[in-house]
Amino acid sequence: MTGEVVLRVEGLTVYRGSRLAVQNVSFELRAGSHAAIVGPNGAGKSTLVQAILGILPRQCGSVCILGEPVRLSGYLPPSVRQQVAYVPQRFQFNPGFPMLVEEFVGLGWGALQPRWPWQQRSARRQAVKEALERAGASHLFSKALGQLSGGELKRVLLAYCLAWPRRLLILDEAPAGLDTPSEGEFYQLLEELRQSLGWAILQISHDLEMVSCYCDRVLCLNQSLICQGSPQVALAPEVLSRVYGPVRDSGAKHCFVRYIHRH
Amino acid sequence: MLEGWVQVVELLQLPFMQRAMLGGILTGVTGGLLGSFVILRQLSFFSDALGHSALLGMVLGVLLGLNPTVVLMVFGVGFALGVTFVLERTQLSADAVLNIIYSSSLALAVITLSLLPGYRGNLNQLLFGDILGISTAALWTSGILLLTGLAYVGLTLPSQMLLTLDEPLARARGVQVGWQRLAFVVLLALVVALAIRSVGVLLVSAFVVIPASTAQMLGSRFTTYVMLAMGIGGLSAVLGMIASAALNLPSGPSIVATQLMFFLLAMGWRGAQKILGT
Repeated sequence: MTGEVVLRVEGLTVYRGSRLAVQNVSFELRAGSHAAIVGPNGAGKSTLVQAILGILPRQCGSVCILGEPVRLSGYLPPSVRQQVAYVPQRFQFNPGFPMLVEEFVGLGWGALQPRWPWQQRSARRQAVKEALERAGASHLFSKALGQLSGGELKRVLLAYCLAWPRRLLILDEAPAGLDTPSEGEFYQLLEELRQSLGWAILQISHDLEMVSCYCDRVLCLNQSLICQGSPQVALAPEVLSRVYGPVRDSGAKHCFVRYIHRH
Repeated sequence: MLEGWVQVVELLQLPFMQRAMLGGILTGVTGGLLGSFVILRQLSFFSDALGHSALLGMVLGVLLGLNPTVVLMVFGVGFALGVTFVLERTQLSADAVLNIIYSSSLALAVITLSLLPGYRGNLNQLLFGDILGISTAALWTSGILLLTGLAYVGLTLPSQMLLTLDEPLARARGVQVGWQRLAFVVLLALVVALAIRSVGVLLVSAFVVIPASTAQMLGSRFTTYVMLAMGIGGLSAVLGMIASAALNLPSGPSIVATQLMFFLLAMGWRGAQKILGT
């Protein structure tokens, strides 16, 4: 853990309406690190990452990405913002949305500064091809976005993130819905990004097996941080019991019980 | 048949007809440009509600003896800002808020109109517009609005596409969603307000919704879709005006009927494609 601090969160508290969703969360993420946020449904995982990105407003605390503070308004300088990529949990749009995969992945390229559509078109196209190839989705280049299956859409979203050099990748249950070989490939790709390019990865996951295999850091969240540390420490049965204990969500609990039984 | 064409050619040589044709093209193209975002952002009802509410603006303009076009544009922007403000500060759904505002505006407009007995005869013109009476100043304003819309959409196209596709994704990329949304509805309000004078409160939303919906069935690439919407909007205006001149039909409804024809053709085309499996 010697890399530069890419993300620093201090005392983050977020309310959703009048409900306290995330309370006093602090942690750091360094370059080349792969951290997972685990916890039951409704624990505030998605709220936490959305508050980090400035998508949701925070009530307390500070967030710094690559040394730049994310303002309460969500503003982050474009030069920093373009080094951050985000794959949301739900990506739902009208299936009749007229957009090709190539166009969508191209939206991940460069900063969103005013420019005419024909500027730097060839560079963008080349980056899109490379990103799709890396994400194992070259065959989807000319396909309509609305015709993609759930798994294909995940790959295309990843290609959207890969279309530009990043420093921080935030994934909200990104591999969910992929078949087992694709999920393995997905994690391998994340590993490659982390090792060869030094990307810092922050991932929300319910798959404790994959988390224990690929992540070097685990944040156990249930409104506040219950525990953070290496997978050996944070995924210990007694810690998981504290995290998932009062949970009503049977799916997540089943996943955690299965993990405990195996280990 | 030949006589009809001669009549059309003669009519097109008249300055008011040329202004009407140009006005129709500008309105159609701008409507297509903004409409392509309106239908995907599910703002169709917004343009319809603005159109209906604008009747109050027009009536107030007449009552106060002010230039109706200027009053309409101010009213349109006020409507857009007011709706955005209410939506951001209440838990009410957009269609409920729009319905409340537009039905109350309409009611107030009819009450105010009843106080202007001499003006009641012009209600038809308010409802269906008068494209043949379009002024040179309105044409210039339409042209400036089209150029503004093209520059705005063209320069911020990736942001607009992301915002239309998925708001959290756009926010995560740093798109200033609040400002972009406000800028768009203000531009839309200005365009709709200006178009009302030409096509009337009842038909104005057709200029925004029908060409874009047609283009959605034909274009799979986003940029192609936007250009198709603009093209269909402009071409419908030209063909609608020609049909109106040749058959002596009201101009605004003729343009909307032409837009409907394109829409039906596109539906047929899509249906044929599905049957042929292409």
